[in-house]
Amino acid sequence: MLALVRPDSWNLPLFVHVLGAMILFGATATVAIVGFAARSRSAHAELLARVALKTFLFAIIPSWIAMRVGAGWIEGKEFPDGDEPGWLGVGFAVSEGGGLLLIALGILGWVSVRRHGIGRAAVAVPVLAGIYVVALAIAWWAMSAKPG
Amino acid sequence: MNKYDWLLFMHITGAFLLVGGGVVAAALNMVALRRDRPSEILLLFGLTRIAVAAIIAGSMLAFVFGLWLVNEVGYGYGDAWIVAAIVLLILGNAIGGYAGSRDARTAKLAEQLMAQGDGPSAQLQARVRDPITLACNYGSGLILVALLALMIWKPGA
Repeated sequence: MLALVRPDSWNLPLFVHVLGAMILFGATATVAIVGFAARSRSAHAELLARVALKTFLFAIIPSWIAMRVGAGWIEGKEFPDGDEPGWLGVGFAVSEGGGLLLIALGILGWVSVRRHGIGRAAVAVPVLAGIYVVALAIAWWAMSAKPG
Repeated sequence: MNKYDWLLFMHITGAFLLVGGGVVAAALNMVALRRDRPSEILLLFGLTRIAVAAIIAGSMLAFVFGLWLVNEVGYGYGDAWIVAAIVLLILGNAIGGYAGSRDARTAKLAEQLMAQGDGPSAQLQARVRDPITLACNYGSGLILVALLALMIWKPGA
C-alpha cells in the first residue's frame, strides 16, 4: 500500500530502495543496541564492539548502497525533468548527510574494536547510530507522508 | 497531511519496525552461532528481546493501519493480494514465534551452563545451531521480504 497509482516500471527500484532502507534501519539499530548494551556489560564490551563493526561492514554499507541506488533509480523515473518536490530533499539530506555520519560511525567503530570496546569511541558509536536511526525515521515520514 | 498520508505513515512505520526488528534478531543470531561461552550466547539472545518487541509492535501497526488503508483507499478485503499479505504476516509471525520459543529454551540452558562455570558445551552448541530453529528464523525473514514485494507490486490490484 505504498502508493495509490504507480507505473509498473517503478516497482523494482522502489522495492530495492525500501528494502535497503529497512535493512539499514535494522542494522543501524543493531549497532545502537549493542553499543549501549556494552556500557553496562564491561566484561563483554570487546565482543559487542566487534558485533557493531561487523554489522557496519556487512549490513550497513551494503544496505545504504541499495537504499541510495534505489532512490536515484526511482527519482530518475518519477522526476525525469529534475523538478523535485521538497519532501524528496529530506530523503536526500538523510541519505547524503547520513553517509558522512556513517563514515564517522565506521571509523569510530574500528577505533573502538582496537581499544577493546572501551573509551570515548565506544561511547560515541551508539550515540551516532541512535542519531541516524532517528534521521531514518524522519526520512520515512517524509517519503510516506510527502508533506507539502 | 491528510488522513491517507497519516495512515500510510503509520503502516510504513509498522513495516520498518517489523523488518528492522527482524534484521536486529538475525544479526545477533548470526553472531551467537560463532560463540562458545554460555554467557556470550545468553547476552546475545537477551538483546534479541528488544528486536522481538519491535517485531510485535511493527506487526500490529502494519496490520491495523493496513486494514484501515484498505477501507480508506477502497480496495476489497477479499482481494487476492490483500488476503495473501495477511496470510504471510500471520505465517511469518507464527514461524518466527516458534523459533523464538526454541531460542528461549536455548537461552535458559545457557543461563544454567553459565552458573556452572561458563565453559563451552557441545549441547549448547547443538541447540544454538539447531537446523529447525535456524530454518524457522531465516524462513520468517524470507516471508517478510516476500510480504514487502507483495505490498509494492500489488498483483491484481
